Amino acid sequence: MTEVKAIEAEGLTKYYGDFLAVDHISFEVEQGELFGFLGPNGAGKTTTIRMLTGVSTPAEGRASIMGHDIVRESVKAKSLMGLVPDISNVYTELSAWENLVFTGQLYGIPRARREGRARALLKRFDLYDRRNDDVSEFSRGMRRRVCIAMALINDSKVVFLDEPTAGLDVKSVRGIRELVRTLNEEGLTVFLTTHNIEEASQMCDRVTIINRGRIAAIDTPERLKRAMKTSQSIEVAFKEVGLEVLGDLEALPSVNEVQKRGDKLRLLTEDPPKALKELWDFIEGRGLEPITLNTLGPSLEDAFLRLTGTEMEAEVIHRRRGRRP
Amino acid sequence: MNGVSLIDELRRSWAITLKDMKIYYLQPPALMFGILFPVALFFTFSVGRNIPSDRLVPVLAAQTVFWSSSSIGPVAIPLERRTRTFERFLSAPLSLIAVLWGKMLAGVLFGLGITTLATAVGAIGVGIPITNPAALVIGLILSALAYSAMGILFASIPTASPGQVIIPLNFVRIPLMFVSGMFIPLERLPTLGIYAAFLSPLTHTLDLLRLGIGATSYFGWVANIAVLIAWIAVFLYVGQSFHRIIMKRE
Repeated sequence: MTEVKAIEAEGLTKYYGDFLAVDHISFEVEQGELFGFLGPNGAGKTTTIRMLTGVSTPAEGRASIMGHDIVRESVKAKSLMGLVPDISNVYTELSAWENLVFTGQLYGIPRARREGRARALLKRFDLYDRRNDDVSEFSRGMRRRVCIAMALINDSKVVFLDEPTAGLDVKSVRGIRELVRTLNEEGLTVFLTTHNIEEASQMCDRVTIINRGRIAAIDTPERLKRAMKTSQSIEVAFKEVGLEVLGDLEALPSVNEVQKRGDKLRLLTEDPPKALKELWDFIEGRGLEPITLNTLGPSLEDAFLRLTGTEMEAEVIHRRRGRRP
Repeated sequence: MNGVSLIDELRRSWAITLKDMKIYYLQPPALMFGILFPVALFFTFSVGRNIPSDRLVPVLAAQTVFWSSSSIGPVAIPLERRTRTFERFLSAPLSLIAVLWGKMLAGVLFGLGITTLATAVGAIGVGIPITNPAALVIGLILSALAYSAMGILFASIPTASPGQVIIPLNFVRIPLMFVSGMFIPLERLPTLGIYAAFLSPLTHTLDLLRLGIGATSYFGWVANIAVLIAWIAVFLYVGQSFHRIIMKRE
């Protein structure tokens, strides 16, 4: 017997006035999968999550959670899922305990069970000692944890996390990622939207790249990276170097493109061994002093940039004519 | 909706009511338009004028229930849009009507609480006996339901600012006071004014409250109750429909 899909979307479409925000997207998420939904700002990630969770009604298409249609069987579908939006929508005037208990009431969970569950979640998320404090006194990271705990109060089978680490400090980001990984290992299906490519690459079993409301690719992060054969590179940092060296490096026969990334230079190439030899000759010839030298495989970011046509983070110094993808 | 019994829906609505009471009753816009504004209007209307006490108390009670009951929804819903906590209801397994009932009940209890206090102080202060408590209680409850539902209807305006709901709501609330026999007795209104007064729910609130203190109802208690119930149904139905339309657009 085929296992029911945790999430199914079929031709989901959403308009805002005349603007087509999400354009007939379809995908499936298996039970227990950590599924990444990656895209630049305004790509349609949040709109998709809102349709999948019943917050917004699709103009066309359908979606189901654990086999239950989100519109026609909304109670069953919603009782099996939890939602953590891109901002921590907790009641700041209430305590952490009250937030969890109130959410349990919305899900119709009997008192003894909801209080037991609230206690267990607050302990697990390291919030129990602060359970009676108003959430307005909490840090962003703590509010995020309260928000995730609220999404799990109903023993969700599927949880939707919309940019869960956005705006958090490094320690909180690590904590949230670890928490999400652990929950997934325990069998929870996680639908994670993010524009953080590294996060998606590190955490997700499969990734969907969405751009301008359409799905550009769905695959595992590694397969998506492998598809980008021309995105191998050598990264080098010099002790002291002038900007004029960039033009000379781009003239090396095996180098397709040179990108400046902070204090490092990234040389894109289809043939790293050959480019490395040319680079070394260049370094010796100029008497330059390298600090670090690394060869890099194609990254999910490369795949993302190719598929979305968006330039993120990288400051592109020069693209050789006729070599653009 | 599917799979949730009426009792379960009512339990969830009640949870929303209790939560709203805790969070929104002391919010500045609720205090301003729910308490200060009707009190200020009442003193503006009564101070320095030789108005008989059997006219003052119904006006005070009607005005208070009118303003206070309709002030919670327009504060709570936009603020919940701002903090995106309203989305919690939409992604939870309960119907939109259960959410709106919960919010409406918070307005009803706010209105009834303040009005009971104001009416008791007014009635005791001027020594007016309550001769028909049933008319008074029915009048207050139906009115609180109607005005709270009116507030919920206006709160369907898709904004995150309570002011943007309260201002258009005041464009309705203030004119209603002038055609409902509150400042100008119905007997002195022209024929067209009488038609308008009949359609205004506030007229029927005032009529029932007048019955409560032994005066006569201009349109009769049956008409008063029927019109208030009709308005409750209209406000609830239209409010729910507007909230659904907004959900589809958002």
